[in-house]
Amino acid sequence: MSKAIIVKNLRKTYSSKKRIGLLRSFRENIEALRGISFDIDYGEVVGLLGPNGAGKTTTIKILATLLIPDSGEAYVAGYSVLDEPSKVRENIGIMLTVEKGFFGKLTGKENLEYFASLYGLNRREAKERIDYLIKTLELDKLGGDYKLFEEFSLGMKARLSLARALLTNAPILLLDEPTLGLDPPSARKIRELVKELARRDSKAVLYTTHNMFEAEIVCDRIILINKGLIVAQGTPTDLKKIIPKTKVINLTIRGSNRDLNEILNNFSVKYSVEEIDDYIKNIKLYVKNPEDILNEIIKSIVKTGYDILRINIEEPSLEDVFIYFSEQS
Amino acid sequence: MSFIDILRAEYKLTYSELFRRKSALISIIIYPYLFTGFILFFGLTLGSIEVFNRRIGADPIIYMITASYLMISLFAVIDDILWRPISSEYDGTLPYVIVSPVNKLKYYFAIPFPRLTVIVLTGLTSIVPVYFYYNGLNGLISSLYILVLTLIGSISMITIAVIIMSIIGLIGESWRVLNIIRPILMILLGVYYPRILMPTLIYIVSSLIPASYIIEIIQKTLSKTPVEIYLLLLIAIAITLFYSPISYKSIYFWEKRKVKKGV
Repeated sequence: MSKAIIVKNLRKTYSSKKRIGLLRSFRENIEALRGISFDIDYGEVVGLLGPNGAGKTTTIKILATLLIPDSGEAYVAGYSVLDEPSKVRENIGIMLTVEKGFFGKLTGKENLEYFASLYGLNRREAKERIDYLIKTLELDKLGGDYKLFEEFSLGMKARLSLARALLTNAPILLLDEPTLGLDPPSARKIRELVKELARRDSKAVLYTTHNMFEAEIVCDRIILINKGLIVAQGTPTDLKKIIPKTKVINLTIRGSNRDLNEILNNFSVKYSVEEIDDYIKNIKLYVKNPEDILNEIIKSIVKTGYDILRINIEEPSLEDVFIYFSEQS
Repeated sequence: MSFIDILRAEYKLTYSELFRRKSALISIIIYPYLFTGFILFFGLTLGSIEVFNRRIGADPIIYMITASYLMISLFAVIDDILWRPISSEYDGTLPYVIVSPVNKLKYYFAIPFPRLTVIVLTGLTSIVPVYFYYNGLNGLISSLYILVLTLIGSISMITIAVIIMSIIGLIGESWRVLNIIRPILMILLGVYYPRILMPTLIYIVSSLIPASYIIEIIQKTLSKTPVEIYLLLLIAIAITLFYSPISYKSIYFWEKRKVKKGV
């Protein structure tokens, strides 16, 4: 099967005004995308992960034909975003900012009916699809079918926004930070549904977020983007393997007045000490192979009169991976 | 998707705004009286009914309520089209409209109809009773005739409004530009100040607006001046149709420029 999305060397520069005082200003070019390339298969959820201003929304907007790139190519469902935008639009469902994009004086259901008529669904199709989506996203339980959009909570707005993206049952979904600011139940509902849509209906999903936890549990593959460049991509497990194998030993100790630096400086490891109170301290040791060194460290600490209350060893998180690559770039 | 489907969606949207925001509905009903009262108040402080009658050849109350109703009707169409991209951008619906496969010309053509329907109906509470009060049964017939002409005049503004919208949409802070364009359009239409009294240059510009011909028919009818009704109607329709392909092109040009900047 052909790829759902293909992006080749995409570049986009914005021109913005930098203001000095009240009257003076000069134009400044900001490179939002500096030649990114990736592809997405059907049935795959790919997370575009990066900090604010990394280029995530710019990428989504180009793929949704809402922004023209300066150079490069992008194909959605086999159609060029530059040459065949109307074909691209037939194959995508989009979800941009969660809190906006609907009419305040229409109910959730009426809003969906409005967009269904713009998206070319006939009355029967629209009714069936809207009823199904309202039920699937549990908007009916929250009053989404009779409450006005202006009375919606953020969670309800997000669910309605996803419902609109799914109105035409398009094979490709472009979701820009769909869970931003949501309460845990709403965020979980959206994450579960996105995963299910990819598994069950083989939809290709491009999912932008800066929530590492979310990216790890929703996405099959993650693309780390920073300052308009892809800094790494792969499955969450693969990405964790790429960074140098540093692990964190957390030790909570009690008692003794001996200086800990005196003990720990004997081992060539990076460490930090945090005093919880007069007696209890937390030590963080950053080591490559904990098994080589842990025994000796514990012995030294116990010998000087400390009691060890707790030990745990942490694997690097996706956040560590992200910070590592951001610093590298 | 058919024009009817888009119309149905627009009717629901506009009526939810009107009926769920009662102040909007009340203002539509009382606007013709407010306008008339305001203009008559200033008119009477500066002149008299006799002077107006002599210059224009019509009763100022009937003339002004008709002019106010015409103005509201025409500006319902102009405003609905001109403000829609701005309000869509504000409420965040613009990207979803742009990515929809809807024919944009059909979409913008459908926008003014719901409010126009309400305004035609409010004619029954504004100009019809006034005409009936002053001229009896003949007045009632005249008022219905004016209603039909107003409807035609308003519809004739759709294509030119789409062109103006596309041009204004390309300019930054288009709502500010719109606030300058509206009063100019008010003058050029010649609703309150007949275009036959305008300086030549403004008269020529006014002639490019289809509704100005319908307004001329109404004004001449009120002042009982002979008027080539069919000729003026034909010119208005011809200009409206002439603007159609331009409005189609302009709307897609606007969308292209918008996407270039980013929606």
